Parts: sequence; structure tokens; C-alpha cells
Amino acid sequence: MLGNDTRKNGLFSLGLVLAFALYFLPGLSSDAYAKEAYAGQAFAEEAFAKEVMAEEAVEGEAEPEIEWGQDVFYKDWEGNPLKGPVSGPPAPDLGEGDYNNYEFAPSRIIIWIANQQHLYFGSFVLAVPIFCMLIEFIGIRTKESDPIMSEKYDRLAYDLMKVSLTAYSWTAILGGILLFTFITLFPGFFKYMAGIFRPVMHVYALMFLAESGVLYVYYYGWDKMKNDPFLKWVHCSLSVLLNLIGTVLMYLANSWATFMQAPGGIDEQGRFLGNIWHSIHSTLWNPVGVHRILGNIVFGGGIVGAYAAYHYLTAKTEEERAHYDWVCYVAMFIAIFGLIPLPFAGYWLMKEVYAFRQQMGITLMGGIMAWLFIIQAVMIGLLFFGANSYLHNSMSRVKGSHRYMKYCKYMVLLLIVAFTTWMTPHTIVMTPAELKAMGGAQHPIVGHFGVMSAKNTAVNMMITCTILCFLLYQRANKKINVPWATVGNCWIAAIFVGASINIIFLGVYGYFLPANQRVGLSVPQVSSTLTTLFAGTAINISMFKDSESYGDIQWGTQSKVGTYAIFLLAISFTWLMGLMGYIRSAVRLFWHVTEVVRDNSVDAYTLTIGEAGKILTFNTLFVWVQFVVVFWVASLAAKKTTEKAPAAVPVPAQQQQ
Amino acid sequence: MLPEQQDILWTFLTMMFTLFAGFAFGNVIQHCRAREDVNTTLWGGIFGAFFLVSFWQTSHMFGLNQQEQIGFFFKNQLLTTLVLLLVWGLFFKSQKIENQSPPLIRAFFFWTTVSTLLAGYTNWLPQQRSDPPPKGGVVIGGDLTMEEFVEMGRVIVYGAKQVAGQKSIGKGQCPLCHTFDPGDNIGRCPNLFGVEERSHTRIKEDRYVNLPVKIGETEPASGVVKGAPDKIDPAYARGGDATLNGEDYLRESLMCPSCYVVEGYGKDGDTKSPMPAINKPPIGLNKIELNAVIAWLQSKDTPGEFAAVTVPLPTGDEGQAEAAPAEDEGDKPVFVTGEEPVDQIINTLGCPLCHTIPGVEGAMGTLGPVLHEKTNAPNRIKDPNYKGSAKNTKDYVKESILDPSAFVVFNEEAGEPFPDGLMPTTFSQQLSVKALDKLVDFISQTEAPPQG
Repeated sequence: MLGNDTRKNGLFSLGLVLAFALYFLPGLSSDAYAKEAYAGQAFAEEAFAKEVMAEEAVEGEAEPEIEWGQDVFYKDWEGNPLKGPVSGPPAPDLGEGDYNNYEFAPSRIIIWIANQQHLYFGSFVLAVPIFCMLIEFIGIRTKESDPIMSEKYDRLAYDLMKVSLTAYSWTAILGGILLFTFITLFPGFFKYMAGIFRPVMHVYALMFLAESGVLYVYYYGWDKMKNDPFLKWVHCSLSVLLNLIGTVLMYLANSWATFMQAPGGIDEQGRFLGNIWHSIHSTLWNPVGVHRILGNIVFGGGIVGAYAAYHYLTAKTEEERAHYDWVCYVAMFIAIFGLIPLPFAGYWLMKEVYAFRQQMGITLMGGIMAWLFIIQAVMIGLLFFGANSYLHNSMSRVKGSHRYMKYCKYMVLLLIVAFTTWMTPHTIVMTPAELKAMGGAQHPIVGHFGVMSAKNTAVNMMITCTILCFLLYQRANKKINVPWATVGNCWIAAIFVGASINIIFLGVYGYFLPANQRVGLSVPQVSSTLTTLFAGTAINISMFKDSESYGDIQWGTQSKVGTYAIFLLAISFTWLMGLMGYIRSAVRLFWHVTEVVRDNSVDAYTLTIGEAGKILTFNTLFVWVQFVVVFWVASLAAKKTTEKAPAAVPVPAQQQQ
Repeated sequence: MLPEQQDILWTFLTMMFTLFAGFAFGNVIQHCRAREDVNTTLWGGIFGAFFLVSFWQTSHMFGLNQQEQIGFFFKNQLLTTLVLLLVWGLFFKSQKIENQSPPLIRAFFFWTTVSTLLAGYTNWLPQQRSDPPPKGGVVIGGDLTMEEFVEMGRVIVYGAKQVAGQKSIGKGQCPLCHTFDPGDNIGRCPNLFGVEERSHTRIKEDRYVNLPVKIGETEPASGVVKGAPDKIDPAYARGGDATLNGEDYLRESLMCPSCYVVEGYGKDGDTKSPMPAINKPPIGLNKIELNAVIAWLQSKDTPGEFAAVTVPLPTGDEGQAEAAPAEDEGDKPVFVTGEEPVDQIINTLGCPLCHTIPGVEGAMGTLGPVLHEKTNAPNRIKDPNYKGSAKNTKDYVKESILDPSAFVVFNEEAGEPFPDGLMPTTFSQQLSVKALDKLVDFISQTEAPPQG
């Protein structure tokens, strides 16, 4: 994979699997109990508060006339709305005086752009420390077996951190712009949000301080802590701390957005009920957090991949080309690994949205936002095509890959069929004549592919196909020598065939079930796909023990198509991230805070898809212009270093004789 | 973006293209200085001119509105940039072109092309802008007939605008989940065909009496006491005796969806309904609207026959008194029944503010086109820029009322189109079918007064 050393393959994959499991699985498993647990906790808090107040009332130390409000989301054990002491003013009925605007663009568009630009950069600077943590860890672990590769890993992590450092300042500036935009254009709404989240905002600012401190020690202490094994471990631990603080930062900021979408901790009038944790931990907080972590990894991988692809195209020497080709691969590997579980996190988020308000879910999937999901489907299809295209092209530079290249065309065919199904709309807007000609809102044949049964099947097959493609890539230059090779291959084949049969069978079976039962089929379908991912990868890696190599991977020989596939992935990630952010935010329709604070500005309408699409494209292009500037600034320091030590470029282990 | 504002994307791209022209100029000068055999003055002059033209085009774009920008960008600036690329290629004709243009430029054009194609794709799809519903509820201007009241209920459920190929959705948002025709089922919520008949029998079923809460108990989420019409929120109560009847069941289902959950359509063992209480946000129907929906539910299966309707008709006083806090009076939406004279309909809707309408006193507005539709409409349907679906004058007028952006008329005097987006898109919520027909009939006959 990353070389001819199978241990590195396993280690790297294992690291990512663990990282994935660390972030995703606890979230999933805990969610089932989270609401009950918090209902219990909240119930106890309420009882305690009542008890204290009753005592105080008896003692005559407190006014007995404290008002109690019913929480809009939290419930007690019996399913009754949780009560809390009213601790804030009701939500304002915003009027003209609560909004400001510039003449050149609607305030809503301006805040969208400011927000999105900050989120793009925030996403990147949160993702890079995750990469650095993993890459540095692998570098430490491989130091004894392959010092050159170890150095290479270490240098890559350092280089990424260097770029991230410039981007970090940039993120902070964009955050400031966002804050000022919010305060100046939406002062009335900001006042309400600040009234509830005041302490969280201060904690957020302090956490930023902590993040900066750790980041600077981590980066500037790199060389000093590099040579001593103990200090190196301390240094690596700093990256863990950096990620922890970064994750907390992100979760705190997420709480404002998730509160706006699905509020908690307030009553119907928008009055704060005294428990800030309820407002932070509203129903979408966890799924949005997990979704964003995975999204950050994917997006960060896309940026690093594009950065490396660009340098690959501009490389002057073979060593440089080999290096950036390898970096492209590492970045894409991370991005795709984040991409595979991303739809599942999306499912979880949508499940919670439906649980919060079915109406909101239907507005997303079957109402005014439905076309945006068709676009999302197209984008996801584009991503899987890009990822598979990159893997297919990359395989061609691996000796021994001829054994598997012949399957690529079948995988492309499967992707086309699945993609076509995936993007088939349920119903489309038609003229009466077209409607009459078709005989109904749904086409008699094609219409069957527009329902969720077909779509779930299609997307699971696409993911399964990508996983298979990745496994073949992993073993492309390996001659399997373990005694149980045949058994192992049979197991892998059985897992993939079995999963495919199960996915397709459940998809077909779904047509015969009512909608409320059909929804439940997505779980075993997803489980089948995850089985191929985890079991397939585990068996595949286990089979590399004592394997022989057909030859080195020819780093630096990546085709231009493969390089541009990386660009395509980077654009798609950026555009898709903007799209999904827009969908998540726009589903509030004409509410600042769903059902509590109405948006009474002139911009309260929901944009047409075309208008939204243009802003998404602008956001994509604009942020990449900024990334180019940031990379250029970071490269100024790199040039200085290169001048000092021109001969220190490590050669990949695969190319050493 | 508002029509008079610049388009952010095209403005950004025009600036980027000018930057590119500047970059190309610098790149050529650099090569000219490095190669002695090249005529620096000639090539420098050519690329300098490209830069100046591109710069001028960018400056010009800042003076255009978005409609004009898109035309100018694709017809002029994009063309300039493509020619510039071609000439740049010619400059390097003896070299390997791909090695002369920096990857940054190739990446920039790749990025721009893919992203712009994606924006193009979104503009190719059906466009639908969703405006927020008016604050508050319906206000009625006078006494209604039952037919009008039922029609009001239908509009709340479906909206007045029918979109082919999909169920239109009104303020109540009911069709998002419910179906109303026999055999039609999208599986989200129960089909409501025959609901009037069921409303009388259901209240006697054991399951209704006992599940998920018993009659007389309070349903916790809504605070409604089940099966007790005398204990319903006074703002929505029907009044009269406390005997539970079919109308009460329907009202209860709307205000307290979890008081009774149809088997197979609820959560937690069919004890909780996913439906929101429609007297609360986000839908928030007032009493008149809620009663109108009940009236429609009671009569929808027997078109033209209203004997099953038990909700009383609202009086004008009742509607005015309850539906509007004083400070929002001016913002309240209007519902036009169609019983009014046509000039009253036109004045109520505010058409004269923007349009000059022959035959309507005081209708001398100039913000929108003069309404001479008897003569204008046939010509506009034939206009090459017309992309709507109308085939005759009446259809065109109806389309213009319900979807004003379907065709934006060109203002000959100003030399530019009338502003798109100015005309409200909420008439579908304010007009009954009868009122719409009446309005369309009238406007279809408007023409310029005879000269002299």
C-alpha cells in the first residue's frame, strides 16, 4: 500500500479504523441511551430544584412566585415536557429595526458567505491535526524498522502543520468577520442568542486560547522534541491534546447551530429554563458533531490531496514527483476512509431530524429541499466516481495490478447503474401535457427507481464497490503466501457476495412493505456494507503476512487523469460540504430558531435552487483562492528552509535498492 | 439577490478573469525578456491590450444588474478570455504549451469550469422560491358562504397554485404526509378519504376511548384533555354542549395529534404521533383557519354538498376581532372569496399600486407593466424569451398572477426589463378559485382605451 512493508499497511489502516471507531461508534451506541439518560438526569435536576425551592419557600428566603416553563424538547420519565425555572426573557418578535443591510447584497447572503468561509477553514484546521496525529504516530512506530520512511512520515506531518498554522490565523480572522457580520446585520437575533449562550461563548473563546497555546508548542517544539524518544512521545501526545481541544471547540460552536435548528432548554416562548447544558445538548448536537468530524477529515484530505497534486504537477525532480505522488495517495486514503462512513453519519443525523420533527425531515426529503438532495446524490455519485477513478488510475502504476485491472470495467459498470438509480428523482415538476403523456406523476417503470428502497440499495452498492476497489488496490502488488490464502479469498468473496445479495434482497423486499417498516431495512443494509469494510479489510490485511512483492510501487508515475481526479474530488468535497451546510441551515425556512424565533427580515424566503447553486459555486471558488494564498504564504517559509538544507529530501523506501 | 443587485458569482469571476489577463501579460513579458528572438513590443502590446479590455469589462460589469451581467459575462468576457487563451497558446506555438502554462492556471480553469457547471446544473432544475407565510392568520372581510369557507379550508391544505406532477402544499402543509383520494397512500400518515364518516364512529371505538390516553385525561405534549370539547383552549372551542361529536374528533386530531394515533402511523408503539399540533408554530392556524380545514374535511368527499359540515360560519366581526393583534393589522393577509366586485378584488390585492389597469379607477401605477392584456398577452406568448406554459390569454394572465417570474416584461421606455421579484408571489394563498377566475376574466379583457 504505502510501500512494500505489510506492517505499515496494517498499522496505517488500523490507525484509521480506530480513529473512525473512536469518533463514530461511541456516538452511535450512546445515542440510543442518551435521551433516556438525559431525561433521567433532567428529571432529577428538576426534582432537586423543586425541593430546594420548596425548602427556601418554607424558610422564607426566596420568593415563591418563580415561574416554571415547559421545555420544548426535553421530556421527563412519563413523557411530559420537562419543567424548568424561567430564567430569561421570551424570544423577541423581531421587526425591521432588528436587521441591518448593505445595498450590494442581501444580509442573509452575506452572513452565509461569511459563515461558510469560516467553516471551510475551520474544517481544514481541525482536520489537519487529526492527520498529523496519525502520521506522526505511524512515523514513531516505524522508526526502528524503516527510519527513512519514518523520517518521511514525520516531515509530512510537520509540513502539513506548517500549512495549518497559517490557515489557523486565517480561520481566526474569518471567525472575527463572521462575528461582526452577525452582530451588525442581525443585532436583534444575536442579542437573543448571546442571552442564552453567553457562558458558552466565553468558554469557546478560552478554548481557542488553549488551542493556540498547544498548537504553538506542538509546532515550534517539533524539532527540539524530535530526537529524544520520550520527548517525541510527549510531542505526539500534544497532538492528541490538540485534537481534543479542537473537537471541544467544534462541538461548542455546533451547539449554536443545532440549537437554532432543533432547540432545547427553552420553553415555547423562547424563555431560557436555566440549564445551559440542555441548550447545548439539543437533539442534533451529537449527530451533527460526528458528521462534521468525518466531514472535516474528508475535506481536509481533499485539500491536502489537491495541494499535493498541484505540487506533483509542478515538481521539477523525480524525487519531488515521487514524494507528492505519495502524499496524494496518503491524503486520498484518509479522505476516502472518512468518506465511506460519512453517509451513515448522515443517516443518523436525518433519523434525529425526523425524530425531532417529522415535518422537518419531510421538508428535507420530500418537500422544498428535495431537489437539493437530488443534487447531493449527484455530488456523492461524482465523489465515488472520482475516488474509484483515482484508485483505478493509481493501480496502473503498481506492479502486479494486471491481475485485478480487468475487473475495473465491471466496477465502473456497477457504479454507473447504481449512480443512475441513486439520482433518479421520485417525482419531478412537469407541465400538464407532460404529466398526461407520462400517465401520472411517476413514470410507470423509471418511477420505481426513485423510491428509498432503490436508493438505499444503490448507495450501499456504490460504497461496497469502492471498498472492493480499495481492497484490490491494497493487494495489487502482493503475492499472497499465507497457507490459508484460498480460504481467505473465499471468505472475502463470500463477504462481498453475501453483502451484495443481502443489500439487493432487502432493497427489493422493501417494495412490499409499508413505509414505516421499510425505513428499518436501511439498518441491515448498512450493516452489510460495514461488514465488507471492517471484515473485508481485516481479512485482506491479515493475508499480507509473509507476502512477496511483485515490485515497488512506481511513485511519481501517476497519470494526469488520476491527478485531475484528485482535483475533482477536492472541488466536489468543497461544493458538497457547502450544499449540505446550506440544506441543514435552510430547512429552518423562515425561523431563526425553529418554531421559536421567527425570521421577520426581508430575506426570510428560501432561495431558489439556482440562486443557492451560484452562491455555493462562489463559496467554493472563493475559498480555494484563499487556500492558494495560504499555501503560497506557507511555501515562503519552505523555500527558506530548502535553501539551508538542499540535500535533505528522503527517498521513499520503495525506491531504494 | 435582488434583481437590481449584482450577481456575486459573475462579479467574482469577472475579477478573476481580469487577474488572469494580468497574469498572462506578466508571463509573456517574462518570456520575452528571457528569449531574445521574440518581439517584446508586439506581444507585450497584444497582451497589454487584453488586460486593458478585460479590466474595462470588469469595470463595466459593476454597473450592470444581474440579468445584464450574465449576458455580458458569457457574450463578452468569457469570449475575451477564450481568445486570450488561444493567443497565449499561439505565443508558445513553438514550445510545449502544456509546460508553459503553469499548473496553477490549468487548475484554476478546471476548478472554475467544474464549479460553474455545477451552478449551471442547479439553474437547469425547476426553480421554486418559498416565501414565508404571512404573520398571523387569515382575516375575512365580510360574511362568507359555506362554499367559500370550505374553499378557504382547501386553500389552507393545498394552496391555490396547482403544480403539475406534484401535490401543491398550502399553509397547513397537510399533503406533505396525508393523502385524500381513495387508494392513494404515501405511507407517512393516514389517508383522509372518508374521514368525516370515520370521525363519528371512531369516538366510540375502545381504542379511541383508552389509547394512548383515556378520555378525560390530559395528553402531556399538547396539554389537551382528551374527548372533552368543553375543556379545549377557549380560543379554539366550538362552544355549545359538551357532548363529543365528529367535529370535536377532527378538531382534537388537529390540535392534539397524539390524543389518538391510527395504528401503524405512530411512534413508540403507536402512542405518539409525528404530526405537529397545527394551532402551534410552525403552522399556527387560528380558529377561523382551523375551522375552515374541518369544514373542508367534512365536505371534501361530497363536492358541492355541505350538509355534513357542522362548524359554524365565522362572522366578519369574529374574524377581525380574534385574528389580529392591533399592531400587526397592516400586515395581515387578505383572503378574497370571489364574491366581491372585481374592482374591489383588484384594490384589495393592491394591484393599482404598480399597474395601470383600464377600467379600474385610480389604477395608474407605473412600477409594473400597463395591463392591456387582451392585446399584449398573445404577443408575449409568442415572444422568443417566453418560457412559460400558457397557450392562450387567460392562461397567461393566470400564470402571471400566480408565478410573476415566469415571464418578465421588457420596459420599452426604460430600455430594461421591469424588476423581477417585485410582484408578490403570495396571491395563490389569498385568492379562492372563484376569485382568481373572476380576476383572470377581467384582466384578459383589458385593452388600451380608444384614441380620441
